[in-house]
Amino acid sequence: MSDKNKPSAIEGIKIASDGLRGTIQESLKDEITGAIRDDDQAVIKFHGMYMQDDRDRREERAEKKLERLYSYMIRLRLPGGFLAPEKWIAMNDVANEHSTRVIKITTRQTVQLHGIVKSHVKPTISSFNEGNLDSIATCGDINRNVTCASHPKQSAIHAEVFGYADKISQLLMPKTKAYYEIWLDEEKIVDKKEEEDPLYLDKYLPRKFKIGIAIPPNNDSDVFTNDLGLVAIIENNKLLGFNVAVGGGLSTTHGNAETYARLATVIGFACTENILKVVYEVVTTQRDFGNRSDRKLARLKYTVDRMGVDNFKAEVEKRCGFKLEETKPYTFTTRSDYYGWHKGENGLWYYTVFVENGRVLDDEKIALKTALLEIAKTGKSNFLFTATQNVIIADVKEEDKAAIQSLLEEFKITEHTEGASLIKKNSIACVALPTCPLALAEAQRYMPTLLSKIEPLLTRYGLGNEEIVIRMTGCPNGCGRPYAAEIGFVGTAPGHYNLHIGGDNQGERLNKLYKEALDESAILSTLEGLFAVFKNERNKEERFGDFVMRRQLV
Amino acid sequence: MLGDSKLKTLLDLINTSTKEELVWINGYLNGVVQGKVSSSTETASAAVTAPIPAVNKITIVYGTETGNSKRLATEFAMKAKQNKIVAKVVGMDQYKLADLAKEEYLLAVVSTHGEGEPPIAAKKFYDHIHNNGFRLEKLKYSVLALGDTSYPLFCKTGEDVDEQLNKLGGERIAPIQKCDIEYEEEANSWFSTVLKQLIVSKTEPKVVTVPPGVPVPAKKTGKQVYEGIVTTQVNLNDRGSNKTTWHIELAAENLQYQCGDSIGIVPENDSQMVTDIIQVTNADGNKSVEFKKEKATVYELLKRKVNIVYLTERLVQQYATITGHTIPAGRADLLDLVKKYPVKNVTQFEEILVGLNGMSPRLYTIASSPAAHEGEVHIVVAKDVYQVDGKKRFGLCSDFLGQFKTGKKQQFFIQPNKRFKLPAEDKDVIMVGPGTGIAAFRSFLAERDATGASGKNWLFFGEQHFTSDFLYQTEIQQWHDTGVLTKISLAFSRDQQEKIYVQNKMLEQGEELYNWLKGGASFFVCGKKDPMSNDVEKTLLSIIEKYGNKSPEGAKEFLEELEESGRYEKDVY
Ligand code: SRM
Ligand SMILES: Cc1cc2nc3c(=O)[nH]c(=O)nc-3n(C[C@H](O)[C@H](O)[C@H](O)COP(=O)(O)OP(=O)(O)OC[C@H]3O[C@@H](n4cnc5c(N)ncnc54)[C@H](O)[C@@H]3O)c2cc1C
Ligand SMILES: Cc1cc2nc3c(=O)[nH]c(=O)nc-3n(C[C@H](O)[C@H](O)[C@H](O)COP(=O)(O)O)c2cc1C
Ligand code: SF4
Repeated sequence: MSDKNKPSAIEGIKIASDGLRGTIQESLKDEITGAIRDDDQAVIKFHGMYMQDDRDRREERAEKKLERLYSYMIRLRLPGGFLAPEKWIAMNDVANEHSTRVIKITTRQTVQLHGIVKSHVKPTISSFNEGNLDSIATCGDINRNVTCASHPKQSAIHAEVFGYADKISQLLMPKTKAYYEIWLDEEKIVDKKEEEDPLYLDKYLPRKFKIGIAIPPNNDSDVFTNDLGLVAIIENNKLLGFNVAVGGGLSTTHGNAETYARLATVIGFACTENILKVVYEVVTTQRDFGNRSDRKLARLKYTVDRMGVDNFKAEVEKRCGFKLEETKPYTFTTRSDYYGWHKGENGLWYYTVFVENGRVLDDEKIALKTALLEIAKTGKSNFLFTATQNVIIADVKEEDKAAIQSLLEEFKITEHTEGASLIKKNSIACVALPTCPLALAEAQRYMPTLLSKIEPLLTRYGLGNEEIVIRMTGCPNGCGRPYAAEIGFVGTAPGHYNLHIGGDNQGERLNKLYKEALDESAILSTLEGLFAVFKNERNKEERFGDFVMRRQLV
Repeated sequence: MLGDSKLKTLLDLINTSTKEELVWINGYLNGVVQGKVSSSTETASAAVTAPIPAVNKITIVYGTETGNSKRLATEFAMKAKQNKIVAKVVGMDQYKLADLAKEEYLLAVVSTHGEGEPPIAAKKFYDHIHNNGFRLEKLKYSVLALGDTSYPLFCKTGEDVDEQLNKLGGERIAPIQKCDIEYEEEANSWFSTVLKQLIVSKTEPKVVTVPPGVPVPAKKTGKQVYEGIVTTQVNLNDRGSNKTTWHIELAAENLQYQCGDSIGIVPENDSQMVTDIIQVTNADGNKSVEFKKEKATVYELLKRKVNIVYLTERLVQQYATITGHTIPAGRADLLDLVKKYPVKNVTQFEEILVGLNGMSPRLYTIASSPAAHEGEVHIVVAKDVYQVDGKKRFGLCSDFLGQFKTGKKQQFFIQPNKRFKLPAEDKDVIMVGPGTGIAAFRSFLAERDATGASGKNWLFFGEQHFTSDFLYQTEIQQWHDTGVLTKISLAFSRDQQEKIYVQNKMLEQGEELYNWLKGGASFFVCGKKDPMSNDVEKTLLSIIEKYGNKSPEGAKEFLEELEESGRYEKDVY
């Protein structure tokens, strides 16, 4: 617990970084190590990358007198998770040439490439650049990738709403040219005025900042888990504006009572003309009022609760120079992706592919990566990532549908998608081991095994057709949003998980801690017990999460 | 007091002597009076400073692999000149073989390498004198053989040369002198004897007739054999590497060595191969036979004492003669021979067996430092992989070491390397050691770290891949962080399109490197002789040329000076 006023170390690094340059250039030249200097590890995050090491290999490498197997993870900036086919091809090629070859779809609708060694980082970014892709500000104390409802069929003006993800992303981009200077060898700018940044100044935000947009009735973007959530309000096919929700954030820290998960509070409505201003001022308010001494308490959720929702709202309105309107009514009924073929209001078709834990690769089961590449090569579709780590083959013209369909069949994608169980289709697992330095337990490597052991339990109680949202993370940071699930597993130690239950299906109620540090057999027996009562005592149509709450099991 | 004749001789001597000689004679006589002086080598070597040699022109040829023979040949030539003898020094590879017939006085300094084979540079000369197509009527000669008693065929090449020259009609002016690795003393006394012969005031120097084969025995530098215990054995290369390089630690009682030395290890043959040979030949593994005056069972011999892989051409032909088969020239494994050209009976096999070469030790540069790793020697061993008609095969000793488990007992001896030594603690050092060449420099750096030496250290290291092949990376990083390692230059050849090697890195930093040399730094190279050490030397010369703006010759001289002052040393293989 650091003292109230003393800024945290990261604050110093940001200010000293000379516009996010730090000593990255020098770090890249240190040929004796695959790592970069300590301060630069904080700075590169703003450029969309993380220094990591393969945790599976630590002991073995140490014995061989080799340093840790350092590599870099790069996260792309894809507002709303949209990717044109040629960009897919570019990304696929970069993955093959510089990374582990696995394309990892994240819970914020973008892509991460892992295992890029130091000497390959610059080539990776320049190849991205050639494919009109970048990773600017996808990490760091800054606005992250803006998420948006993925499913075109939800509304005719999906495209219009979608446009806001892009607008907001642009609005909140840092002004520094460091990214281009360091990674793309562009001219050093002489007059630093060129990159003066009235929004971020030289200190950026106290912490990461996340914005999501949802289009009722589907909350697939889990809008209330964001620092700033926008709920699109549409009346007879016209976008009026957005309900504004502030202070969402999930992370907690084991044993730190001051930390908690929180869903965003709706504070009002802003019309399309005003929404960007509101977004901007919410960010400046967090910039000026956020906690800069304790990073564990620096997210907007703590600022909002410290100031009080009303004061926070007042401050934002003051800065906007106008008041927020009455919150407009809306209802969410689901958070699930619509798998398979669907037709958007715009008359274009799209197919949602099931991607287990967002890992796109060719394995013994299916050649998913090749399939998607082949589809991209036809140029007959765009791609959209969902916040549930799946991919949508989008904007397919009626006349091209057959061609895409035959590829989907040829590569058994249809079989794979239809074949997946309902719980698998609604589940999320974070990356965790071996790359995530914060992981306490496995997640994406273990979730499939666990689910295939839970499936028979459900069938045993005739619950095979229940859409139960199950999510797992390797630590309490909540990257897989486990606290906003009907069943959440939060890693505490290798092979051990806290069991959270009672969240609702559509993401408007958090779950609660039910049992601590369970191993697999304990997890299975506990769940079996719960399913048994659920089977016998549920109301008609009642969801598992709602049942748990009604019966006050937690 | 003296009779006329004696007085005359004395006066003659005095009149014909230089001042220095008189001073010496004075001291010598003094010694004689006090009965101090024995007829030891010093007297001899001293006596050689007598005037007017009978012979005033000699040729000294040398055959060298690692430079010792050359160094001696050059020293001798200088001594000869002091004695007014014109001495031509020439390497056996440079020597015009046609001149041999014209030679009158020839001194040969030659070492033995491989398994009793001549140094590559001596091969031409060696083969020439072995095809007895000619006579050497005028030739008076003597041979100095360099060798190492830890090898079964001690000074074999020297012996062969001595014998052959004699066969061809040459006359020995002094018996062959064989030297162990501590060769200086014996080498000098040999040369003194030779000089004596050349100077004897007779028109015809008397020829010593020593029956061949009874040469002056070498003073064995008793090499202590240590009983080592393997405490660590780890492959330093990470998964996915093309290489396998073992770091091996051996602990032993009261170890004594210095940085720059090597250890010698005698490998054992593959048990399967041994049992196959016994089985194919129906030999009795337990039968005891005599080999080099030692008794041992047939199995024991095959397993530990004799070399059975890649037999020399000579041995293959010997096998042919004994078994009566005709076998094409070339080397071969014993197992292949006994399969392809069966022995008539067990006695025949035993005859072949005891005729085989003893197992040669393999040397490994010590990678540890007495100051930093007390009671241990560390070595770093590259698994030697080669192809024989498409089949992958592994080097005998490196594979043997690769199979070590901790706790295994293994004998070894220390092979000193007098010249490859750290300079004074305040002197700077440049170290070029790619691959297993890192051994010597891990030793140097650990030593300088442990002793707090103040000199600067610059390491050049190279391998294939940064991620999997950076030998001792974490230790090197430590030395870099603590400042022991002033500068490091790395070359990973296969991490980019174009190949990058240590010599490329040297060139990049040519100016600074030259400045270090000018500033008195010593330059060490360790590792593969070919191509590495040759490329490094070429590059070094071009750097000296460029930044010291010298002619090619000038650069050569500069490097030779470094070499003579012990500031350019190689431990290459
Ligand atoms: C890839 C991803 C999980 C996935 O499997 O998809 C992910 C992966 C990581 N997250 Fe996350 N987070 C991801 C979504 C989330 C979410 C969910 C969301 O935003 O919808 C959360 C919870 C919501 C929230 O922010 O409260 C989340 C909360 C965190 C936190 C806790 C932040 C906090 O407030 O304390 C950390 C740790 C930190 O920032 O100190 C973190 C840190 C990390 C790091 C970068 C670990 C680190 O800091 O070194 C993980 C990289 C692992 C790896 O090897 O790839 N990640 N992270 C998600 C990438 C999203 C994106 O594309 O930007
Ligand atoms: C002073 C000195 C220091 C050294 N330091 C080191 C060191 O630090 N680290 C290190 O790894 N090495 C070092 N060496 C080399 C080491 O001594 C050995 O030469 C090396 O390990 C190979 O020996 P081996 O028994 O494994 O291979 P061997 O069995 O001796 O084979 C060596 C080569 O002979 C040929 N050969 C053998 N058998 C056959 C066959 N049947 N058919 C065809 N060709 C064949 C192959 O080309 C093979 O590569 C050093 C050598 C010297 C002289
Ligand atoms: C790989 C190797 C093999 C050797 N084999 C023999 C040998 O078979 N018999 C021997 O007497 N000496 C052998 N020696 C020892 C050398 O003859 C000895 O080191 C000598 O001083 C080298 O002289 P040079 O530098 O002129 O070549 C061998 C040395 C090495 C490095
Ligand atoms: S939840 Fe924890 S373990 Fe999982 S990716 Fe995020 S930080 Fe890593």
